[in-house]
Amino acid sequence: MSDALTDQIRDFILENYLFTSDTSAIGLDDSLLGRGIVDSTGMLEIIFFIEEQLGVKVKDEEMIPDNLDGVNKIANFVATKRKAA
Amino acid sequence: MSTIVTAIEDAARRNGDAPALSWHKATWSYAELAGAINRVGDALATKVNAGDRVALLLRNSPQFAAAFYGVLSAGAVAVPLNVQERAGVLARQIEHCGARLVLADATHVEFTALREALDGKGVTLLPLELVDAASGCEAFCASLGEHPVRAASSLDEGSLACIIYTSGTTGRPKGVMLSHGNLASNARIIAGYLGIVPADKVLCPLPFHFSYGMSVLNSNLAAGAHLVLEDNLAFPQVLVKRLQDEGITGFAGVPATFALLLGRTQLADFDLSGLRYVTQAGGAMPRPQILALRAALPKARLFIMYGQTEATARLTFLEPEDLDEKLGSVGLPLPGVDIEVRDPSGRVVPDDAVGELCARGPNVMMGYWDDAELTAQVVRNGWLHTGDLAHRDGDGYLYIDGREVEMIKVGAFRVSPQEIEEVLATLPGVQEVAVTGMPDALLGQAIKAVIVAREGATPDVMSVKAHCRAHLAQYKIPKVVEFAAELPRTSSGKVQRYKLA
Repeated sequence: MSDALTDQIRDFILENYLFTSDTSAIGLDDSLLGRGIVDSTGMLEIIFFIEEQLGVKVKDEEMIPDNLDGVNKIANFVATKRKAA
Repeated sequence: MSTIVTAIEDAARRNGDAPALSWHKATWSYAELAGAINRVGDALATKVNAGDRVALLLRNSPQFAAAFYGVLSAGAVAVPLNVQERAGVLARQIEHCGARLVLADATHVEFTALREALDGKGVTLLPLELVDAASGCEAFCASLGEHPVRAASSLDEGSLACIIYTSGTTGRPKGVMLSHGNLASNARIIAGYLGIVPADKVLCPLPFHFSYGMSVLNSNLAAGAHLVLEDNLAFPQVLVKRLQDEGITGFAGVPATFALLLGRTQLADFDLSGLRYVTQAGGAMPRPQILALRAALPKARLFIMYGQTEATARLTFLEPEDLDEKLGSVGLPLPGVDIEVRDPSGRVVPDDAVGELCARGPNVMMGYWDDAELTAQVVRNGWLHTGDLAHRDGDGYLYIDGREVEMIKVGAFRVSPQEIEEVLATLPGVQEVAVTGMPDALLGQAIKAVIVAREGATPDVMSVKAHCRAHLAQYKIPKVVEFAAELPRTSSGKVQRYKLA
């Protein structure tokens, strides 16, 4: 699956943590923590990105790996939240 | 003498089924841990001699503990490496301490690169299995291979047990040498003032290659308690839920940990009545945050502590009951530790005057590995010169006022500006670079690099950060990269880093 939202999230991670525009540097289902792409500070920055750039508020209890630890997971989470809004 | 290893063996004899370490789905009992330590010792008996260095590239896990204490039980010296570092730095530290053997997690992202970096240098990488399931202990022991049982050796209090690398420039790594006596005495004192008992279940998110994390490991295992490992703090809500659901009685964090918990969780919504104590070390926590943490966890005793790797871990702590009256203090010296605040000529300064905090006691390191010159500067007549500026009030309570040296503290990790400057200087197009710390709301300090580009060259921020990512641990990548026409300097030509922030 690849759509505009997924691309936007992937590009943000590529640009801010892998410092490249090479899209093969990350798989959409890769664990961001498991692969050492972000640490806990980076995860907070991703949440800030989701809130500021994607316009979706992340509640404290939504800060779980299933929602945030991967490009597809983030995209699914954001899409679901947008639908619910 | 009684070492951490003998304390673990004693705990295994007293109550072998008691849980020692939990990691994901695995829980290792004291009997399993003691058995695995012994297996590591047997495996090393034919490979290393007493005093040989053995490096560990293993993340926090029961397997780390088995390998670490196994190396010690074999009479060798454990060198726990920072698993966040890149292969280049890891290889330099391995070569610096002269380790011929590395016990490594074969799934580590830098494993292959490290093997290549060490190719032809006479260093063996022994891959170990790190399985985070119930079969973990068995798989780990199997990956060691079969070895005859070795003769038991007794360990000398004054002999070298481990080397912990702290920040240093790439050309001059700083390996802090700690003896068996250093580790055992500091662990016993910490376990004593925290009142750690076998019934305790303590959650540790701190890496073991870092002296605070290492002290949590040593003090809990020496006391026969149950240590529960947390891989990361990316999901603070998950962490707090674990504190509640698993009935955690003790928790160790650094200021950034508590900033995260206070900012991103609703501590009041959880039942944390089992949490008996919380410890904070790894840099000064702002006073409002101390008060907010205590208000959010009214039932837990909050220990504010201070120390450094060169003092094994701990030098002082503040009794929770003194927190109101002595807010901002790091407390009193540990029993058996003498502390003086001195002026540059070495004289003790009067109360309330600022000077360098110097310490003497059984926790003071043996020195820096292979660096007699630096050791002689830092340890003089048995006194450790911490480089921290401090003062003492009329009641003897100590307050930290800053650092003498230009070290950046990101979260709780010390970062040498020179190390980053050296890496950036190798980037084509960079003529000059200076690195400094800048204030950061969460981490206390973040890293800022200011670059003067070569004429005609136009390096961009992304390529600068990509270069850093390839050569430095993630937390050492500058958050801000700026370009300037020149660097601020003193009249003598020295770069004034503080003017860059």
